[in-house]
Amino acid sequence: MYVDKLDEPTSVLLQVDDGADLVDALAQHGWGDGLPVVAPTPERVDAMLAGNPGDAVIAVLPPRFGEATRRTLAVNAVMAGCLPVHLPVLEAAVRALARPELNLRGVNATTHCVAPLLIVHGEVARTAGYHGGRGAFGPGNRANAATGRALRLVLLHVAGATIGDGDASTQGGPAKYGYCVAENVDASPWPAYPTTIGMDTASAVTVHCGEAPHNVHDMESDDPARILDKVASAMATTAQNNACISQGEYLVALCPEHAATCADAGWSRRDVASYLFQKARLPAAELKRAFALRAWEPWMERLGDHDPAPMTAHPDNIRILVVGGPGKHSSVIPSWGMTRSVTLPLADGPLGNESTPC
Amino acid sequence: MLIHRPDGAVTTPPADLSASPAVLSGKRIGLLDNRKPNADVLLGRLAERIVERTGATLVRTETKNAAIPCDDQVLGLLAEEVDVILTGTAD
Repeated sequence: MYVDKLDEPTSVLLQVDDGADLVDALAQHGWGDGLPVVAPTPERVDAMLAGNPGDAVIAVLPPRFGEATRRTLAVNAVMAGCLPVHLPVLEAAVRALARPELNLRGVNATTHCVAPLLIVHGEVARTAGYHGGRGAFGPGNRANAATGRALRLVLLHVAGATIGDGDASTQGGPAKYGYCVAENVDASPWPAYPTTIGMDTASAVTVHCGEAPHNVHDMESDDPARILDKVASAMATTAQNNACISQGEYLVALCPEHAATCADAGWSRRDVASYLFQKARLPAAELKRAFALRAWEPWMERLGDHDPAPMTAHPDNIRILVVGGPGKHSSVIPSWGMTRSVTLPLADGPLGNESTPC
Repeated sequence: MLIHRPDGAVTTPPADLSASPAVLSGKRIGLLDNRKPNADVLLGRLAERIVERTGATLVRTETKNAAIPCDDQVLGLLAEEVDVILTGTAD
């Protein structure tokens, strides 16, 4: 069915029989996510690149150590159904994946169900159609769905994170098909998320490698503490990697109404994180009994059995974001653990202020 | 229909294992435990058998976190002090 055609110096074209099932044809090479794809023809890939150069290597992604170029990203973006305006977001996300503190080799190769969540911030969310409002985690929005899927296709194809090969995930997970959302900064009572790490840029992306969202509902409270106690309850469990890895982050995606309740009471984003740090705790003995093998800070190991141990070593590891629309449902997204979220500006925005939460 | 490959080039040379010594007698054995449950048991028993059967010597045991690459300093110590490293991956 295929004839390899080495007719370009920087890319390889394949001949696919007209009328062939493209999903099956790609699967013979170990490619695809099981869903129908848009054929990445040269014309479509060129249109995705929109005349920009495409062959410089922007990242090398483990465990396959495939080289990600803008052209390679464009191929996967076409397959996923992206528009050209989505490509800069995908490129920034891939740059984030390659940062050493994100530990992509571990993220891809672990038996855990972790998937990189791509969060889009700022002007590009509006201009390229990313959605942070009602139902933001999906389904239904093209920019979120296609870019999230494109990032997964890059992981499958370029990074080699294929099940049973470069991805040892015991159960896999739905977030591995696509996991992209926008920050709802218009409905947030607090400054845009990138400013929490000192980044003042028009557009940015954050990649947080964690689980699928765990819902927290509170429809009756007008008190921040009562809402956040429920959030803390979702965090304080032995059923997540944060319980045994103290450097792990939590992403807490507050809905606008919960965030407004906190802000109206005078609580800053840092106040929310500090409160959750204090309240999301379990007796040290319970955590130690659950995990003989722990990656804890030394001071946590010295806690007495009856001391309340925090679920993460520092309030800054609790990252607060506003996502969603009307209603009173927030979510907690625990980390895989041995990874740090990364926030980067888009390449065409102000540069030189890249940062990572610390 | 012509389509682009989606996988991109690989130019990073693969990391190859060193050739195993033909004879273990007199060799210095090191363990690199990734701290997955029972890794220490498995590697320790294996080392015991090798020592018993070949006359090799267990000279160093190190640990690493399974989720991140081994620290360069640890690898350097092992490289200096042992001839063969027993290690493993996964659960």
